[in-house]
Amino acid sequence: MSKLERLLNLTAVLLDTPRPLTAEDLRRMVEGYPPPGPSFRRAFERDKDDLRELGIPLRVERVPATDPPIDGYRIPPEEYYLPDPGLERDELAALHLASMAVRLDGFGEQEALWKLGGFDGPETAPMAQSVASIPADPNLIPLFGAITSKGVVTFSYREAVRKVEPWRLDFLRGRWYLTGWDQGRGAQRQYRLDRIQGDVQLSESALVGEVRPSGLATGHRRAAWELGDEPPVIVRLLVDRRLAPSAAHYFDAEIARQDADEGVIFSVPVTNEAAFRSFVLGFLENAEVLDPPGVRSRIAQWLAALIDEEEGP
Amino acid sequence: MTFSARSSGRRPKTAGDRLRRLLAIVPWIVANPGVELVQVAKRFGLSQEELIEDLNVVWMIGLPPYTPDALVEVIMEDGKVWIHYAEFFARPLRLSAAQGLALLASSEGLLSVPGSDPEGPLARALAKLAGAMGIDPDEVVDVELGAAEAGLLHELRHAADERTEVEIDYYSYGRDSRSTRRIAPWRVRSTEGAWYVEAWCHQAKDERVFRVDRIAALTRTGARSDHGPAEELSDSSTFRPHQDDPTVTLALQPEARWVVEAYPCTVLEEASDGVIRVSMVIAALPWLERLLLRLGPLVEVVDEGELAGARQLGKNAARRVLRRYEDSSCA
Repeated sequence: MSKLERLLNLTAVLLDTPRPLTAEDLRRMVEGYPPPGPSFRRAFERDKDDLRELGIPLRVERVPATDPPIDGYRIPPEEYYLPDPGLERDELAALHLASMAVRLDGFGEQEALWKLGGFDGPETAPMAQSVASIPADPNLIPLFGAITSKGVVTFSYREAVRKVEPWRLDFLRGRWYLTGWDQGRGAQRQYRLDRIQGDVQLSESALVGEVRPSGLATGHRRAAWELGDEPPVIVRLLVDRRLAPSAAHYFDAEIARQDADEGVIFSVPVTNEAAFRSFVLGFLENAEVLDPPGVRSRIAQWLAALIDEEEGP
Repeated sequence: MTFSARSSGRRPKTAGDRLRRLLAIVPWIVANPGVELVQVAKRFGLSQEELIEDLNVVWMIGLPPYTPDALVEVIMEDGKVWIHYAEFFARPLRLSAAQGLALLASSEGLLSVPGSDPEGPLARALAKLAGAMGIDPDEVVDVELGAAEAGLLHELRHAADERTEVEIDYYSYGRDSRSTRRIAPWRVRSTEGAWYVEAWCHQAKDERVFRVDRIAALTRTGARSDHGPAEELSDSSTFRPHQDDPTVTLALQPEARWVVEAYPCTVLEEASDGVIRVSMVIAALPWLERLLLRLGPLVEVVDEGELAGARQLGKNAARRVLRRYEDSSCA
């Protein structure tokens, strides 16, 4: 009797049973367990761990009419079975290619594809080599789990504990972001996953039920200079012709742009002036803020202060 | 922090790994009676011998009292296979959160590549999968691999596939200069949210990595190339300092801590007041100028190392940029 066989039988029995079965029931029903005693208990514990590690929803319930109460086990079929997404052959092939081309390593894409029916296409498709790898963040899975199960999470961020209803995850400019409703602050917030301190915990608290703004899909494109609480200001930025194409990549399509002799003028809504200054200075002398005058003069002051600075030790 | 790729092995060895696969294979055979063994093996990435070995376990499966009529029936005949009486394994195990996220993120990522078909099979697969998970994919996960023109990406990929050379008009951000280069690409990839092309550069006579969104124009030369990568392809960092690049030491105020996360550097010392000393390899002067301008009072060059004049670099750059602001601040 191999362990594989025992695990398969255990899964079958637990899926088939309408009522929770005790450890002793299972020992008698599933072949391959040692006689009652410590070695059975060790083997049974290991098997439970193995099933859970596979993601099998093993439920522990009190066996009815037992006193003192006894734990029983079952696998609710409705939680176990994958609803059939009804994928056509070309759709499954496309998913297979996508998972090879864009990798989130260590997330078990291979097994996910097996569950969907495997793949029988050509071995080497044009896109079969990896074109991108997405960095994995340890908090991605708990956050995604909380989003799909509509749960509330708590985590530490900037030295404060946040209680957040998670709405969406975005991978943008090489980083993962979480957007959600910060219950403590009573406002929508965006967090960088790599700045979350420690682990995300699922919270017992209920959803506040804040209505998620529709069209949030465009909200995630916000740049650093839009992630502030300052009153919005439209800043006109002139970028020299040769750099204008690369600058344009940083702006959404709805940002107004106008051709000038020297280059292109972008009209950018800014709610975080310091972040925008940092962005503009990245262009060195190839760009300048035209107006409003306040923003323009504060950049000039920033630069002047650097020049006047005392020589360091 | 990395994840262990527990389920990615080609040759699962442990009972858990074999169970994972069997729980997917059995429902598929149940749904496709009489399928050829060679088909099943290919679909699930194992050899026919391994498949038969695993299926031989399946037929010991059943429910108490394990009388023959309560056992799963596996029939293998003429290279084909049938599985009966396995109602409890009629459907595969649902996707875990990690697996669901991985498939959504890969699909969203590939669909974000300029030039992909928003109504093609991948888009349809994504919609169906998200539907089965009970979510609206557009509202839950989005992956942007980077901005680039579809035509340009296509041309670069074509050059890499065909091993031909192209001429590019390239803006080097680090050096703040524009040049025309003849390159022989071998790979186009997205890393950290931007597209890059890895190539042999005839001007540098060396391997170089170019950011696709800084290529202003591209022309095919038609010339064949026999240049390839010297080392095995990897997803390593795009920043490859040369041995003779100078190193400087910077002192960063706590508010500038992000620099440590954002750029390759070595932390030398973290003082109790939060000031961090780091050493950084400087591959191009404009790059350091930008950092000094952006950080302003939050950074200090404490040791110029081999880069004489590094302390003056920020000031000189500030003077150049300030010139653009002088006329109107007088007005």
